[in-house]
Amino acid sequence: MSRHEELAQELESRRARVLEMGGEKKLAARKAANQLNARERLDHLFDPDSFAETGMLATSHIPEMREKSAADGKVCGYGKIEGRPAAIVSCDITTLGASSSMTNVRKMGHLRRTAIRNGMPMIFLNETSGARIPDTMGAQGTGALGQDPEQFIRGREIPYVSACLGPSYGTGTWYTMLSDFVVMRKGACLAVSSPRVTSLAIGEEVQLEELGGWKLHTEKTGLVDYAVDSDEEALDLVKKFLSYLPSHSDELPPAVEPPNEDDCDGNAITDIVPAERQKVYDVRKLIAAIADPGSVFELKPRFGRVATTALTRMGGKVVGVVATNPMFKGGALDPDGCDKITSFLVLCDSFHIPIVMLADTPGFLIGVEGEKRKAPGKIMNFISALQMCSVPKISIVTRKSYGQAYLNMGGSRNSDEMAAWTTADVGFMDPNIGVNVVYGVTAESDPQKFEELKAEISRETSAYDLAAIYSAQSVLDPRQTRNWLLSMLSVHSRGREGGFSRRALASWPTTF
Amino acid sequence: MAEEKICSEITGTVWKIEMGVGDTVAEDDVIMILESMKMEIPVLSPCAGTIRELLVDEGNAIAEDQVVAIVDI
Repeated sequence: MSRHEELAQELESRRARVLEMGGEKKLAARKAANQLNARERLDHLFDPDSFAETGMLATSHIPEMREKSAADGKVCGYGKIEGRPAAIVSCDITTLGASSSMTNVRKMGHLRRTAIRNGMPMIFLNETSGARIPDTMGAQGTGALGQDPEQFIRGREIPYVSACLGPSYGTGTWYTMLSDFVVMRKGACLAVSSPRVTSLAIGEEVQLEELGGWKLHTEKTGLVDYAVDSDEEALDLVKKFLSYLPSHSDELPPAVEPPNEDDCDGNAITDIVPAERQKVYDVRKLIAAIADPGSVFELKPRFGRVATTALTRMGGKVVGVVATNPMFKGGALDPDGCDKITSFLVLCDSFHIPIVMLADTPGFLIGVEGEKRKAPGKIMNFISALQMCSVPKISIVTRKSYGQAYLNMGGSRNSDEMAAWTTADVGFMDPNIGVNVVYGVTAESDPQKFEELKAEISRETSAYDLAAIYSAQSVLDPRQTRNWLLSMLSVHSRGREGGFSRRALASWPTTF
Repeated sequence: MAEEKICSEITGTVWKIEMGVGDTVAEDDVIMILESMKMEIPVLSPCAGTIRELLVDEGNAIAEDQVVAIVDI
């Protein structure tokens, strides 16, 4: 055997050892629990034979741990998803709990810089116990952490996507907080520290679901977009999200062939949206009727449900839709709804995605609880973001839109073009409440007077009143919505800038 | 058997109760309809299950976050 062959054999043997990860027993236990391991996840996500690993032979910097630290617990590299490149950190929890160490943090830093420099999304598949003990113990251990003053800066030059597929603490959580899209496997935990560490620190028992379970994060914090039952479903959602985004901020979102317009049923709109203001409906059905068939991908569907935010396609091109949803709290915008919309505006502005806004809202939900939750600040964050957005913004008042919420939903030149449906009703506040506020009369105290005053206060609140002063540029039969939007998206295409936004929101944090 | 407490998202009056005790519900089924802000706003089941208890009657005024029904899941 030649010396070259001997050396090649040694390399192959080292590589084979790395592929064994944390050992047969641990991998078998995962398989039995229906969980993919770190490398099987790559196989599911990436196009066949497209994965190129970096740092495969990296190990713990502590000599006696080298044999036990295959790839140092984090499998890193580059692959292709439907032909487009992406960089990935896939945690191998069977190897030292995929804990963060001096070496694997260096790997992640290299990967992040490479992804940004070359323009490909970063994907984090998190399943990690947090910082490695004993490596980070003591002043020298802690003092050696990070060593990267740009590690947590987001300029959204590229999309970040996270999947929390098991416990996620420390670095895994930090990158998740910086991500544009997060999916979680049910049973996983996303938190600063583990339930055990937290229980010890605060001296009371804390349960996993309470501390960082899927319900908490999809419904209360909104930090997670989707919760799913399996690794495969989570990885499929990662692919789906990325299919709407450009690989980097110097290209436009990927377009597909436009659908056959005969397949788009605008007539369904009048069956979905009742003309009577007291009747509610689910705005997601309206969005589905307006967008290209089958193209709607809602974000944060269980959080801040007074608002719906969705990536869609119109004529094959990616469009972000922001809508109030009367199905929940009548579509009155609350602090969570504002946060949800603001984070979506950041996403759209960063990646050149035009925005369509559909307003049917009685206004901002007022009350003590809202004030405690900084409602005024949330409302201003929302409209500051909207005014800073330089992507095309097209809005429609579908039914009611009152007061400041009218402005936040694109009214009064806060969008490039606005239409009002024939059912639109625009004013300073809901007439039913306005009668009492202005005249001190209620429906109970004097029904006849109330109706007279309501008729007076409701005058000149129609679509035609808005169009007469050119505050709405068009009045639409609801069934004309799709055609009008396609036409206006084409008009406001930002031709001089090639369709690119100025990305003023690209470095905004979205976890508030 | 686990239970899920169904809360009202908003202050209002119970206008119409659509389900009865023992009825099977799917996620997002309408359990009752409230009147609030002059709109008919549904209370939806957040999960699939069977209605064990209805804690309000039609015409009752209810507050935000008040438990209005309990579903066995």
